[in-house]
Amino acid sequence: MRETPLSSCERAFLLQAITDKKRVDGRQTYDYRNIKITFGTEYGCCIVELGKTRVLGQVSCELVAPKMNRPTEGILFFNLELSSMASPAFETGRPSELLVKLNRLLERCLRNSKCIDTESLCVQAGEKVWQIRVDLHLLNHEGNIMDAASIAAVAALCHFRRPDVSVQGEEVTVYSPEERDPVPLSMHHMPICVSFAFFQQGTFLLVDPSEREERVMDGLLVIAMNKHREICTIQSSGGIMLLKEQVLRCSKVAGVKVAEITELIQKALENDRKIRKEGGKFGFAESLPDQKITALKIEKNVVDTSNVKDKAEKIISESQPPSDVVTKPVVRAVGTAQIGEGIENTWGELEEEEDEEEEDEDDDDADIVSTSIESDKVTEKPAKKTSADIVISDSEEEDVVILQPEPQAKASSSQAPEEDQDKSPVRKTPHSKKKKKRSSH
Amino acid sequence: MAAGYKTVEPLEYYRKFLKQSCRPDGRGLSEFRITTINVGSITTADGSALVKLGNCTVICGIKAEFANPAADAPDKGYIVPNVDLTPLCSSRFRPGPPGEEAQVASQFIADLTWVLYCDLICLDYDGNLLDACVCALVAALRNVQLPSVKISEDTGLAQVDLSTKSPLKILKKPVSTSFAVLDDTYIVVDPTDEEESLATGLLTVVTDEDGKLCTIRKPGGSSLSAERLQECISRAVSRHKEVQALLDEVLLSVKTL
Amino acid sequence: MEEPGLREIGCEQSPLSRPDGSATFMQGDTSVLAGVYGPAEIKFSREIYDKSTVEVMVRPKVGLPAIQEKNQEQLIRETCESVILGTLHPRTSITIVLQVINDGGSLLACFLNAACMGMMDAGLPMRAMFCGVTCVLDSDGQLTIDPTTKEQKESRAVLTFAIESTEKRILTISSRGVYSTAELQRCIAAAQLSAQKIFHFYRDSAKRRYSKS
Repeated sequence: MRETPLSSCERAFLLQAITDKKRVDGRQTYDYRNIKITFGTEYGCCIVELGKTRVLGQVSCELVAPKMNRPTEGILFFNLELSSMASPAFETGRPSELLVKLNRLLERCLRNSKCIDTESLCVQAGEKVWQIRVDLHLLNHEGNIMDAASIAAVAALCHFRRPDVSVQGEEVTVYSPEERDPVPLSMHHMPICVSFAFFQQGTFLLVDPSEREERVMDGLLVIAMNKHREICTIQSSGGIMLLKEQVLRCSKVAGVKVAEITELIQKALENDRKIRKEGGKFGFAESLPDQKITALKIEKNVVDTSNVKDKAEKIISESQPPSDVVTKPVVRAVGTAQIGEGIENTWGELEEEEDEEEEDEDDDDADIVSTSIESDKVTEKPAKKTSADIVISDSEEEDVVILQPEPQAKASSSQAPEEDQDKSPVRKTPHSKKKKKRSSH
Repeated sequence: MAAGYKTVEPLEYYRKFLKQSCRPDGRGLSEFRITTINVGSITTADGSALVKLGNCTVICGIKAEFANPAADAPDKGYIVPNVDLTPLCSSRFRPGPPGEEAQVASQFIADLTWVLYCDLICLDYDGNLLDACVCALVAALRNVQLPSVKISEDTGLAQVDLSTKSPLKILKKPVSTSFAVLDDTYIVVDPTDEEESLATGLLTVVTDEDGKLCTIRKPGGSSLSAERLQECISRAVSRHKEVQALLDEVLLSVKTL
Repeated sequence: MEEPGLREIGCEQSPLSRPDGSATFMQGDTSVLAGVYGPAEIKFSREIYDKSTVEVMVRPKVGLPAIQEKNQEQLIRETCESVILGTLHPRTSITIVLQVINDGGSLLACFLNAACMGMMDAGLPMRAMFCGVTCVLDSDGQLTIDPTTKEQKESRAVLTFAIESTEKRILTISSRGVYSTAELQRCIAAAQLSAQKIFHFYRDSAKRRYSKS
């Protein structure tokens, strides 16, 4: 599918609006869209909505052997996927440039900033460590994928609980969630990305660009920061040239925004923790708002299955019982047998050709056999031919008797089967050969 | 002339036959094509079988190896099936990674300290691939001779003794039966390639020897009422008996060797 | 012993702004998001001259899609192809993307339901609606409808049906495990009864959204 291109009048309109310090959705220059964070029933699953951009994040863990050069550290794996439903332009297959860029930035932001304590993930030095895997799926693309993805990753990591382990000498016991409460990951800090879009060669900037604004922007500056005002990663792309003051101003803005967002994440986590502790219902189903007319929920439904059994029995008794007529299989040779009527397969030529051959498991015959096979049915397994299609001439005779009515039926429809068209003239000769044999017996 | 009519209006052509309750190749609506089974032809494999269903040919080879058991079933071996649909069998398939049909067929079959690598290669595609594959796989499995294994005390490793072989214990012998729904009304058994391409729906039923059903697969297509489904199941059960007898005969003839 | 029945069902229509149609479908803990694009432009090499090409993509939450997902994709695709009136839109593509939000049992049935609601939201012409129902049989022959992950794992056989709305006939069957013919017919009858309830739910959702009162 292809994305609809941006028309020049739309582009001109957006740029003009930005020059007039107005945004299409009514926000101010430094305003973020509404952020909504919901958690699922499983630990480590969360959905983040940044305006209409939606990202699903899931954290999972597995016990694996550590890397050779880092025997005491756990392994982190990040993967961001641009789902085909997020935008008609995203297609599966080779990763696009955008995807590679986003994944790289995400890795730098989370892995290189050492926000997760990898030493704590070690279970047995050099033998077993935890591998933490973060999968992010972009569900709807309305701009600013990076920010939404980083918020989802951080929230999911904070929400995640890994199973508890105990090590006694060489024995490693992993406790299930029922036996011992799962343990949260130890995170040093929470790095969040903040994106700045630049227009008109760096004259105007906007925070949290929407999809339309992203299409007309000149360049993008992404600053990953934590609430302690430490810059974890900074990336400027698009080739715009920025002044030192601009970058410093952006980092100040980022500091403020990150503090707000971090507080939001903490609140959401706290809410979820409270609900789980009180035993209330949690998960995505609960976050479905009741007031929306596009959403509907119904309670558990009992299905009356009392007359199901009667209905089933009635159907079975009314249908025909399976027929007991069984055709006796014909043993052609050692290891081969045949049943059935209907179209004879085109490999039947083979059997006629070998009337004179002795039934033999010799490989010598294999060579003779393979050369006599019709060219379009050549296989690379000559050995099997010997036992496959050698025919006991007596059984051939029996078959001839059965087959008699068939050729007549076939003659009337012999024009029909396309594959057999070229074979049918050939088949005539073997049939006549068979008839000759019969007379000789 | 008939061939011309068939190319231009395949559906009308088939309808004429269906109204008379028969098919262009002379079969009735519930008749199968000639089924031929041959076992033990690949001597380098631990078990093998070649099945011909009319023109549709599938060969199955099984190799047994040692492997680490799966984490959740430490005392069971497992089977790794693989179905190969190569351009050799039909112009419909292109070389390269297994297409969707091959992958689906592989998945379908898997639902049936040793790991058995089963390779099913289709040599000639003429419709009804699943039936032929299941038949070949079961025949090959019954043909498999596993060498006995002894754990030697000093090294703690398993030693394979190739001289004594014992057959694999097969608990269930499933048989698959495929149907095609043509024109939303007629149900035919064992469809050929042409019938499959004209079909508005496909159905595959796998039965075992107690008359129980192992799997039913009906991917979309025309809807069926429960009664028609029941008829198909009855046909499948009787087909099971036929194929069972065939397999038994074949294996008996091999054993007497 | 609990009576067999469907778990809590919830649905949100058009949660996403980019796809032509989208729906979230929740059955108990299982939650699936469907995004539908279509009829849209298609590459010349893949177009069919007299009808639209239906494509289904199933995305698991963790890891890359594997053979099991391919199998589910084929089942869902064949089901959708048989209800969509593809001949009204030749040489176009209809893409259905299904994302697992949470897997809590009877996942294939949830995929089918989400796909149907997504297509309804996209306004695709269909000859019937369909719904998915999963039944499991445990070792005593006890029938359970809409199982949780635990019930599915402990069962002897799992059957998933797609039932169409016009005559409650069976559109798709996919099963795993061994069961008798009588049990199969019981499951089909039970599935048809549950389908009735799910179709009521579709109707209520649409009524809630589109009615003027």
